[in-house]
Amino acid sequence: MLGSDQVLTLLAEVVRETFPDRDFPESVDISTLLFADLGLSSIELVVLGEKLEARWGRRLPFATFLKGLRDRGATDIALGELVVFLQNNPPQLV
Amino acid sequence: MPEVEVGSTRLYYQQAGAGPDVVLVHAVTSNLAVWVFSGLMDALASHYRVTAYDLRGHGMSARPARGYTSAVMAEDFRQLHRALGLKPAYLVGHSFGGVVSMHAAALAPECVAGVVLSDSFFPGLKHIEPNFGKMGLWQEVRQTFARVGVELGETVDFGRLFRETAAMSPEKFQQLEEIYGAFGRGWLRQLPLLASTSCGDDVLAEAGLTADVLRSIQHPVVALYDEFSPFLATANWLQQYLPCCVAEIIPAAKHLAMLDNTAAFTAAVLRHLNRLTGTPGQSHGIAGSA
Repeated sequence: MLGSDQVLTLLAEVVRETFPDRDFPESVDISTLLFADLGLSSIELVVLGEKLEARWGRRLPFATFLKGLRDRGATDIALGELVVFLQNNPPQLV
Repeated sequence: MPEVEVGSTRLYYQQAGAGPDVVLVHAVTSNLAVWVFSGLMDALASHYRVTAYDLRGHGMSARPARGYTSAVMAEDFRQLHRALGLKPAYLVGHSFGGVVSMHAAALAPECVAGVVLSDSFFPGLKHIEPNFGKMGLWQEVRQTFARVGVELGETVDFGRLFRETAAMSPEKFQQLEEIYGAFGRGWLRQLPLLASTSCGDDVLAEAGLTADVLRSIQHPVVALYDEFSPFLATANWLQQYLPCCVAEIIPAAKHLAMLDNTAAFTAAVLRHLNRLTGTPGQSHGIAGSA
């Protein structure tokens, strides 16, 4: 299983590659919020999910993950939550 | 990104699952993320090939200056359908997405197997709809904008909504972003982008989808209308005059059923699609529930 630091690094790479024109903070950590801190919107999360699937080399249950967040009333998503999700769904190709 | 070129524009889409084709069509100012976050796309993908796309001007699709009537968007659908090699599809359309879906059934019947409407208002039925322009949802938006000193008017006016957000100071816009919160921010940010388009006026145009054209649609239609919908007269008209229409009320919803009452909406869509396609409902474990 990839360590959380490794996944966070990969995740940060995919976020920057997916939205190359955005002015993201220099450094991020597991508490960084996708909406509030990175300024992403819901449709951009869908696009991010698609890019993560490409990087991970497999279909990811990203929609289930997003619906689960909404079901429990989450108002934002921390990178740490996404890291755990990705650790639970390891890549076939990195 | 998965995209298709259609006519003069480019549409972003997502696809999942395998089986009979189902296409999800969102409302004005929304985008395909609503189907992902509500879980409908996931729920349907167990037995259907589900395609969700962003209407022109919305989400990640291109934003041309013109061409936002239901007629033009029905043609967009026809071209998307052809480009993706879909079979005749069941369209699930929310609000204006339902208008586009019905217009597609009228203009491109060979691409459509049936339509599931969610709380759609049809400009061509304005004469039978006493609540046109008086949606509770619009009043909520109006009250929220009033908190930052912006008046939107009593009746639904998308053009004004787009222009007011485009003209708003950055400070007021930020205040609104804070009010709407993380999940509403994406919706808010899309509004000023549509100010330079004809979307505001076009989406309320009849555009050829008259009452007579609606009556001529032979496809099966499911009219899911919300318990607190402003458009229940439309639901009654559809059930009375369409050749093959079943109507159902989604409880505890007021125009955004897929979010207001996700479980009941998802169950109803699945149950009706299973009925129309002959898919065994038991496999979903929720047949007959709503």
